[in-house]
Amino acid sequence: MVDNKQQKDWGTSYGEMVWKEFAKSKFTLCWLGFIILLFLLAIFAPFLANDKPFVIRIDGQLHWPIFKALTASDYSILLAAIVALTQFVLVLHNRKSVDPSIRAGVLWRQITISVFIVLVGIILLFVFIPRRLDATDYKSMVASGKATGAVFAPVPYGFGRTDLKVREQPPNRQHWLGTDDVGSDVLCRLIHGSRISLSVGFVAVGISSIIGIIIGAILGYSGGKTDFIGMRFVEIMMAVPVFFLIITIVAFFPRSLFNIMLIIGLTTWTDDARFVRAEFFKLRRQDFVQAAVSLGLPLRSILFRHMLPNAIAPVLVNASFGIAGAIFIEAALSFLGFGVAPPTPSWGQVLSLGVSTTGRFLWWLTLFPGLAIFFTVLAYNLVGETLRDAIDPRLRESV
Amino acid sequence: MIPTLLGITIVVFAISRMAPGDPVSLAMGPVGMMDAQRAADVRAARMKLYGLDKPVYVQYAIWLGRVVRLDFADSIKHHRPVIDLIKERLPVTLTLNLISFVIIYAVSIPMGILSAVGRKKFLDRAGSVALLMLWSLPSMWVGQMLIGYLCGPPLNWFSPAGLSSNDADQLPFFQWLADRLWHLVLPVFCLTYAGLAYLTKQVRAGMLDNLRADYVRTARAKGLSNWAVIFHHAFRNSVIPIITILATLLPAMFGGSVIIERIFSVSGMGLLAFEAVTTRDYNVVMGVATIAGVLNLFGLLMADIAYAMVDPRISFESAA
Repeated sequence: MVDNKQQKDWGTSYGEMVWKEFAKSKFTLCWLGFIILLFLLAIFAPFLANDKPFVIRIDGQLHWPIFKALTASDYSILLAAIVALTQFVLVLHNRKSVDPSIRAGVLWRQITISVFIVLVGIILLFVFIPRRLDATDYKSMVASGKATGAVFAPVPYGFGRTDLKVREQPPNRQHWLGTDDVGSDVLCRLIHGSRISLSVGFVAVGISSIIGIIIGAILGYSGGKTDFIGMRFVEIMMAVPVFFLIITIVAFFPRSLFNIMLIIGLTTWTDDARFVRAEFFKLRRQDFVQAAVSLGLPLRSILFRHMLPNAIAPVLVNASFGIAGAIFIEAALSFLGFGVAPPTPSWGQVLSLGVSTTGRFLWWLTLFPGLAIFFTVLAYNLVGETLRDAIDPRLRESV
Repeated sequence: MIPTLLGITIVVFAISRMAPGDPVSLAMGPVGMMDAQRAADVRAARMKLYGLDKPVYVQYAIWLGRVVRLDFADSIKHHRPVIDLIKERLPVTLTLNLISFVIIYAVSIPMGILSAVGRKKFLDRAGSVALLMLWSLPSMWVGQMLIGYLCGPPLNWFSPAGLSSNDADQLPFFQWLADRLWHLVLPVFCLTYAGLAYLTKQVRAGMLDNLRADYVRTARAKGLSNWAVIFHHAFRNSVIPIITILATLLPAMFGGSVIIERIFSVSGMGLLAFEAVTTRDYNVVMGVATIAGVLNLFGLLMADIAYAMVDPRISFESAA
């Protein structure tokens, strides 16, 4: 182990510098907390809103219906969350105990292992957990006295349950945020909808960043004819109205969450490509790149090992805005009826129910999902903006 | 320019042809009612009628040849030339977007300058968070809330749908104009606020960069008036990013108008596109996408030209 004295010699890394600058704004930290809260909400959605009780006593026997009713994807999300948390703790630990010169290598190994664990775990979960449909109405069992000692989730409704007796009810004791056109609980749908929004945001931006980085890196590094032709292609992608393109593709292809993520990712990479290209243009002539070239390193290594770390900052900032944008696009798609197929809940879909088929304005179906979208988008935009200010050294020097 | 145009047409054409399902089967519906042979015959005849029986590249060449002459063939749903539909709808969208553009630029430039000059004051701090909030507001939510609260029974200030009252045609000119403008208020507001917030932030950032520069200090040291320093020195140099944003706002405007036009039932290009997409009306989809793409490209070109006019250092001949 390393003692404290040596640790000081390592100095502050770029990441620590940025984080220190970032943490200066307490206001933004609050919003970062809000994002973390949203993630917890998404991860533990089935435990917060579910019509199955955690535990119930039927005929003197204890049952655990909620854990039996969770699907393989629910367990996969939990697994991924646990591994991600471990990885985060490991990163913090690395900072204290691993020498900076080998830190990147260690980090990559850890990430590889984590991804491996998650992938294997997900496959195993999907193989071994059967699809179950637990249609038992535990609530009526409790009401009729057949079962006792039931502990329900804070929002005791399933997102797919319909109950036409209580359709289009404004907020009340039973349904804190009211019910929608088929009698589903709005709060429950919003809690489960956070999963869609967050996953669309992350996966879509992941896809678009990767495409943008690769294209931008190749264009910026090679320059000349490749660059000219490539930039015309980027220009084409910029000139085609993106939202319209997305609507067209989504309407023509089967509606699934993955398709929506993929399409948003495939259509929004132009900004990333332009940023990375501009950075690579500048880096190309620098000595360390020339050294890497003359050492005979493969192109992949030059581009992504040596140059990319120096050009990643604008991509990171753009990613935060990109997540906000992707969440907005997903909500807009669902609002127009091109989103994930019901009964899968999504914020935009709930919002679209705000004007009923008879033209009545249902304020609780408009206000609450709208607020959810608004606060999430705002949080990501605020974080992105603060991150940009933290990364931009021009602003750091002055003031 | 020309290759980019060609590229747009290829993208548009490819997407509409990659899609599973074709308009003929959609129009015919389930085949169960007819016997198989007859259904196949009808299908083949229809395919031939719309030219869908030829190879894809031939279809593209034929389509491109027509597009050059602004002939987008007939709408499969409306049985009318697509170009006529677009001619009806385009002015509506252009009116909406042009008004929004003028408002965005007219309001956000002075606002951005003001907030940059008054930096560090409370008003500016609160202002920049407020701008970010404005930028993050989802337009479909704002639109629906506005309709719900301002067009509903208690207030009844605006009408929730369309761009004119039912009897608008019989009104005298000025009343007609007032009626028109009144109906435009809400859609234009929804189209404007996000771009307004975004541009104001950009103007502010650009002004701050320049106000901090050495030449501004020199100008102040020379004893120039505050006004001259701000407008003749700093602002002149902040104009370039403002023009660049024009290029990014344009495509966003068209996308935004799909949502806005749908919420407010404004029959513009966005709603036309939306309806065409839901009914798989290929020709309309392709027509609208091409026209929108070309308009955007035109906007980008204008931005480039304005760029060169404002900044003498930029010239297109010496581009590497």
